[in-house]
This record gives sequence, structure tokens and C-alpha cells, in this order.
Amino acid sequence: MASTLLERELKRGSAEVLILALLEQRQRHGYEIGRLIDERSDGAITFHVASLYPTLYRLEDKGLIEGRWVERSGQRRRRYYRLTAAGRKVLASQRNIWDQFFAALNRVARIRHA
Amino acid sequence: MPEWRARVAAAFARRSLVPDADVVDELAQHAAAAFEAARAEGATDRDATDRVERLIATWCGDPAVALKRPRRRPAVTPPSDAGSAWSGLGQDVVYGLRLLRRQPGFAAVAVLTMALGIGATTTLFSVAYGVLMKPLPWPDADRLVRITETRQGKDPRVRGTMSNGPFHTWTAEHSTIEAIAGWISQPPVMLSAGSGEPTQVQILGVTPSLFTVLRARPLVGRLFVDDDADKSGATTPGGVVILSYGLWQEQFGGQPEAVGRVVQLNGKPFTVVGVMPKAFVFPDRDTRAWRAWVPPPVNLPNGAMAMTIFSAMARLRDGSTPEQATAEGTSRARSAPDPGMTAVALFGGNGPAEIRAVPAVIQMTADVRPALLILLAAVALLLVTATANVASLQLARAAARRREIAIRAAIGAGTGRLTRQLVIENALFGLAGGAAGVALAVALHRALPALLPADFPRVDAIGIDWRVLSFAAATALGASVVCGLAPAWQARRVDLVEALSEDGSAPVGHGVRVRTARARALIMAGQMAVSCVLLVGAALLVRSFVALVRADRGYDPANLLTARVALPQDYSIERRVAFLAGVADRLRALPGVREAAYGNALPLLTSGGFRGFKMRSPADPSNEIEVNTIQRAVGPEYFRALGLKLEAGRAFTPQDTMTAPNVVIVNRSFASKYLGARPLGVSIPNMGMCRGDRDGWEVVGIVADMRQGSVSDPPQPELFLPAPQVGCANAISQAVFVVRTAGEPLPLAAELRTLVRSQEPLLAVDSILTMEERVMKTLAKPRLYAVILAGFALFAVAIAGVGLFGVLSYSVAQRSREIGVRTALGARPSDIVQLVVRQVAIVAGGGIAVGMAIAFAASKSLTTVLYGVAPQDPISFVAVAALLLVVSAVAAIVPARRAARVDPWQVLR
Repeated sequence: MASTLLERELKRGSAEVLILALLEQRQRHGYEIGRLIDERSDGAITFHVASLYPTLYRLEDKGLIEGRWVERSGQRRRRYYRLTAAGRKVLASQRNIWDQFFAALNRVARIRHA
Repeated sequence: MPEWRARVAAAFARRSLVPDADVVDELAQHAAAAFEAARAEGATDRDATDRVERLIATWCGDPAVALKRPRRRPAVTPPSDAGSAWSGLGQDVVYGLRLLRRQPGFAAVAVLTMALGIGATTTLFSVAYGVLMKPLPWPDADRLVRITETRQGKDPRVRGTMSNGPFHTWTAEHSTIEAIAGWISQPPVMLSAGSGEPTQVQILGVTPSLFTVLRARPLVGRLFVDDDADKSGATTPGGVVILSYGLWQEQFGGQPEAVGRVVQLNGKPFTVVGVMPKAFVFPDRDTRAWRAWVPPPVNLPNGAMAMTIFSAMARLRDGSTPEQATAEGTSRARSAPDPGMTAVALFGGNGPAEIRAVPAVIQMTADVRPALLILLAAVALLLVTATANVASLQLARAAARRREIAIRAAIGAGTGRLTRQLVIENALFGLAGGAAGVALAVALHRALPALLPADFPRVDAIGIDWRVLSFAAATALGASVVCGLAPAWQARRVDLVEALSEDGSAPVGHGVRVRTARARALIMAGQMAVSCVLLVGAALLVRSFVALVRADRGYDPANLLTARVALPQDYSIERRVAFLAGVADRLRALPGVREAAYGNALPLLTSGGFRGFKMRSPADPSNEIEVNTIQRAVGPEYFRALGLKLEAGRAFTPQDTMTAPNVVIVNRSFASKYLGARPLGVSIPNMGMCRGDRDGWEVVGIVADMRQGSVSDPPQPELFLPAPQVGCANAISQAVFVVRTAGEPLPLAAELRTLVRSQEPLLAVDSILTMEERVMKTLAKPRLYAVILAGFALFAVAIAGVGLFGVLSYSVAQRSREIGVRTALGARPSDIVQLVVRQVAIVAGGGIAVGMAIAFAASKSLTTVLYGVAPQDPISFVAVAALLLVVSAVAAIVPARRAARVDPWQVLR
């Protein structure tokens, strides 16, 4: 049971970091974010699509990302998300935390993160 | 596609949830994308719909999704990556580089192909530009015209020259030109300055007006003035000389005091009056000094008539055209004194003179222009082939990258962006290929002076300058755009669903793979056609070159050493003959020498003299005929040494001396043109040789015709006199030795030199070459053209062969499932091989057929550069077709085997 809880926490935390990281370079829409997480993690983090939008909204509510409707001629309007300045700071500190976490794991269990 | 917004809203409504309209919109957007992706993965419409419905159900299960959201303001600004046409360019470049790094083999082949194509094209362009188009290195060079003379449409004995009569009348009065100048080449002379060792230098006799016409200025000292010229018209030096920069440095260490000093040319004193700048080259780099010369007047003070032919050039007056100069020159020439029979001898006719003024650069390059243009066309074809090859590779690659391209399109890359990406990838090839091509061109330029024949005009003008570099850049850019557009055009038609859903190993009966295969097959056939055209051209040039080498020249050039000696003017004829006969006798005594002889003429070196006279026709004594012939004085063994066939009568013997009866030997052309049915025994009247009134020279022998210059020139009437009988010194002003040897003749060169020096220490032997070397020198251009075109053709064939292999392998791979089905249904390996063979037959056969048709039409343009082979030579065409079929068959072997070995269990699972 405990492992499931940890797993959930890990996933939840990692999903947020992943989203922030994906938006670091450019703005993206929801489907793209979901697909990229899938793709980049080689399916290792199977991210349930159902939790994608709640996560996005949560991040938006926290002011870490900002969603905007974009209309381009000849295309359906799409909602794009981009990283805010606050999001950028959080991403940096989160990266730091994750690094420390993996380093600790590595010391304890000799687990290496790629 | 289902209306997802309504479905999402309905799903939430069923759970009594009312999400924000924005949320519904966003989820509907996601649902639509998921549906497309599901379809792309191969799901049916229905399966995909089901999958998305399940997704919508999971959303409804999480109330967090449905939380009321504050209304968000709509943005009207598009995402930054679509902001400007230039944004993301860096990304594209980085991406392209990464792709190249990932496929080094492909990149290497593409860059190498481009480099060879661009390098060859750039080099040929620079040669064609430098030689044919670049202005001559003189001020207002476009106003320089070369002046030539013909009579009754007949060229003078030395093509591209004019005679003294028209030159003098035009010099005296002119309106369309500013000035006219002449120059005459002469054998090299021995130059000694002070205490230095005598060296042999090439010197040119020029009229003082030459420097005016060229608008050249001296570096030190002065140019010639009219009084400098030796008015006697003698071609042997006397008076003043101007040195080239190089000779000045060598002989005088670049000291200005050289001006005023006296140098000895063949033992005669000449005063140095000036030095030309380093850049001054006229007419070629071999010429190291210029002496003042002026053509003799037609009517000499002693009552004799003189006619000289020499090269001439004029400067047009501003506003005059070459046509106007032609008209003026012709009318002035008509008022020149009539040179009488000499004109017949020098022009083969004594009609009114026609003067032609042709822009100097055109006249200089006339004989290389057709070949250069042909090679330029050939290299353009080569570039097209190379570009098509890269385009074909790109098409194959684009087909393999369809998923990637489709995904890029699916996540928002527009056609423009995709096209740009592909063009940028190719621009990288173009850039790398262009850079490597320019490097290749630079390397080739270093080798050009060695590669180009010695008589190739304007080699100095060939160079890599900004024009050539811009040409290379434009070529590289053009080629890369073409290569990039081909796959981009295919990508434009990518159907996302189809591309993403396509099974990589599926049998292909439709879709882009087929379109790609078709485009590649078409390119392939085109490459075959281009190879075919180039190969036919190369085959024709090679066969023509072989025909030139094998042509019957009348003499046997193998194992023959030849050399020239200029004889001092003050030597009597007796002294000359005694010296020449003495050297020949000593040469004959050397081991390994079969025969040795002397004469005053040698094919490809010096033609002897020209002579025109009147005589009664032996066939019809009442009729007086004009004889117009080349006349030579030779030693008795001359014919045997040259291997010239005696067709009738006898050769000269040592008994044909001054005291013996006059005898003459004529060649076949002379006999049949002038002497009628029984030439032997005919008496030819005094031909103006210095034998006083001893009339009558009996024809005692007839020899075969001998080609003097190019084998394509028709043989001329020729007449040989025994050297001991000619009687006057100026009949043998320069002599040649011909030495037939048992083995390799060149080692004898040193002994020949020593022998001459032991007899006459002051005389210099020059132009020691084997006769085969002389022949090959004249064939240097045809050989070069043949080698270049053959190189292009082989390169094109290699590309086509490798390309065909690629297309077939690709096609076999993509049809493996179809082949598996056929095999499973009982097709034998031979049936499967037939599938491949049929494809080869269509692609290669079609290409060859089209190529043959084009080659057949285009080969006519080769007519001017071919010898002894018809432009439609069947052997060349058949050989080319056979070669291409063999290449196609070889390219097909591996793919056909692979097809025959397809295991149905493997591919159908």
C-alpha cells in the first residue's frame, strides 16, 4: 500500500515537473503535452490522460503556467500553455530537488537515474 | 469525424456536471487529436470513436476536471514559432545537422556527388569563362581585332595571317582603325649577354606599332619607334630588342642599367632599349624578347617582289565596328601592288585580297570554342545527373521519414515550415558539396597548366575569381533547392492519417511509396538517358582520337628522332650542305641507328618553302598551268629515314650533286594534279631556285603524300630537290635531322647534340623530339577532350548504376510482402527474378532508348571535332547501349537475388 502511495506521489510530482519542463522551450497545447510525455519517457511514465487537464489547471491556478486560446486562420482554435516566470523558478528548484533525491537514492540503493 | 464538443458536453451532463465552456472546448480539441492519432495507428473509424469515448468517460470520472474555471481571455497572437518566416531557422539548421550526423553514409554519398558535380562544373565554367569570355589583358581590349587575309576564299599557307601588301597600304592610310601591327615568329635564338652562358630564347619580331595597338608601356627604357625596324624585311635579327621581365631578371638581375647594353642574338649585336612589365605577355609566355621588325614592301629596291605572311592585329577607332574595319581593310588591300605568282604560292590563288577583322578574343579561341562549349554542355548534364541522384536519395529518405514528417505536421508544422526544413537540410548538402566542389576546382586549377595542351589559348586568363565563386555558389544553391523541393513536394502530399497508419512492411499498391518509387524511377531513367548521351559523346571522341593516332600520315612516326638547327646567315650553301651531310653520316654510324638524314622541312615543325610558277602541262603542251607547291631541299636518305613510301622511280642518291643533272621527286598529289598520266621523266622548268639558267628538273621519283599538319587537312602538292643541287644558301635557312632507330629513339638526343656541337660549336640544336611526340602534341587537344568527356561519362554511369541499384533494392524491399505472397502461391525464384528484370527493362530500357534518341540528335554538334568517325557511328551507339545494359544487369543482380530469396514465412507473419 505504501508503495502505491509513494508511486502516486512520485507520479504526481514528476508529472508537474515534466509539464513545466516541456513548456520551458515553447508553448504547447494539451494533446501535444500528453503525447510528448508519453514519447519522451518511452512509456516509462504512463501518464493517465484523465489527470493531465486537472494537473494543467492546478498548475495554472498556482500561476506556474498560463493558458491562452490561439486562433490561427484555417485551423481550429487551440489552447496553448506557456511557462510563467514563477513557473520557471519552480521548475529550477524542482530540478534541484529531483537531482538531490536521485543522488540520495543512488547513495542508498545504488540506483542510477539515466 | 464526430462532433466532439457536443459529445464531451453530453458526457459531463450525464454526470450532472457542467464544466466551463472553455474546458469543454479544450477537451473537445484533445478528443479530436486523439481520434486522429487512433486512426493513424490503424484503428477503424469505429474503434477510434470508441477509444475516444472511453477517454471522455475517464475525464468525467475526475470532478477536478469539471471545476468551474475562471473565464480566460482569448489570445489573438499566434504562437511565437509562427511569428516570422525566419524564426526557428536556427532550429532547422541544427536539426538538419543532427540528421546528417546520424546518417553519415548517406551524407557522405550526397556531399561527394554534389562536390564532384559542382567541382567539375565550376572548373569547366572557369576555363570557358577565362578563355572565351574574359577580356584580353589590354586596355579597351574589346576594340582589338585580329586581321586576316584570304584570296578567292583561300586561306594563306599559315592560317590566320595577312600579307605585307595590304598591311602597308592600310598602315599608310586608315579611318576605321587607330593602328595596325604585325608580328612574325621565328626559331629560337641563342642569346648571350656579356660573360654569361648563351641561352636559347624564343624571340618575336614585332612592328613598332604593336605596343601602340596594345597600349602597353615599358617598365624600364622605351618602346620601339618606327626607325628601329629593319626595313629590309629579313627575318633574322638586327638592331634593337626589348626584354621580357623574366629575361631581364635572369640576364641583368633586374638592373635598370640593362637598357643600352648590347646582347648577342645568334652572334649578332642587339641593343636593349626597354624592358616590359612582369604582366606583359605577348603572344604567349614562351616569348621572352621582342625585336623591331617590319614586313618588307612588295616591290623591293632591287626590282624583285616580296610577299610575306605574318600575324596582324589592329585597334578599332572608337565607334568603329569589326565589319567596318573589314570593309576598309579589303578596299585598302585591293590598292596594294599585285604580288603576282607569289600570291599563288602563299594563298593557292591570286584573286583579289579579302581582309577580315575579327575581335581578337574570338580569333584566338576559335579552335577551342566548339569543344569547350560541348564540354560545358556535357558538364551541365553531369551536374543535372548528380543533382538528380541526390534528389532521388532524398526522395527515398523522405519516404522513410514520412512518419516523422507526419508527426511534425500533426503538431502544427505547416507546409511552408516542412518545406523549409527539407530545403535547409539540402542547403547543408549544397553548402558542404559546394565547398568541397570549390576545393576540387582549386585543386584542378593547380593541375590545369599541366593538363592543358601547350598550345591551348589563354591559359593565363583561367583562374578562380569572384565570378567563378559566385557561379559555384549559385550552382550549389540551385542544386540544393532542387534536391530539397523534390521531397518537399512529396511531403506536401502526405496524408497524415495514411502516413501514420501505414504499416512499414505492408504491400504497396497505392500511396506515397508508389509515388516516390515512380518519381525515383523517372529520375533513374533520366540518369540513364544522360549517361547514354555522355557515353555516346565520349565514345565518338575516343574513337576519333584513335583514328587520329592511327591515321596514315604518309611517314612512320615510330622510332624516329627529330631535331632542328637554325643555320647562320653567313654560311654558304656548300658549308651548310657539308655540315648537314657530315652530321647525318656520323649519326648513321652510331649503334642503334638505322638511317639518318637531313632536310629543310619536317611535318609538324617546318614546311620548307612555298613556290608558285607556270609550266606547260605535260598532258597538253599547248596549255600553260599554274603550279602552286611546297618545295623542299632534302638529303638523299630523307625518304628512307622518314619511312616515306617511294611509289615509282628512284630516291635521291649521293651522286645527285651540283655537277649532276637536275633531278626532282614529287609527291602523289603533285603528280596527279600537274603531271598527267606519265609523271616520271617530265621536265619541270626552273623553279626559281638559285641555279641560274640551268633549265629543267627531271622528275625521277614519286613518293606518297605526307600530312604536314593536321591529318584532316587535305594533302598538298609537294616537290623535293636534292639539297646539294639547290645552289643558294637561303633555300636552307634552317635544317632538320631525322634519325630512324632500332629501339627507343630519345636516348640518342644527347649524342645528336654532342655531334652537332663537335661540328659547329656555335650552333644550337633545338626542338629535339621523337616524331611520335610531335604527333601526340598535335593530338593533345582531342585527347584532352576525349579524356574529359570520358571521365564525365563514366562518372555519370557510376551514378546511374548505383542509383539503379538503390531504386531496385528499395523496390524489392517494399514489395517483399507481395513477393512472399507470390512465392507462397507457387511462383518459382525465376518468376520472381523476372519481376525485377521487368522493372530494370522498363527503367533502364526506357532511359537508354530516350538517351539514344537524344544522342543521335545531339551528336551532330560534334561533327567539327570528330575525325575519321561519323557522328552517327553505329559502333559507338551499339557499344554504349551494350555497356549500359551490362551496367543495369550488374546493378540488378543483388536486388534480384534478394527478391528470389524472400521467405514467405518471414514477410507474411
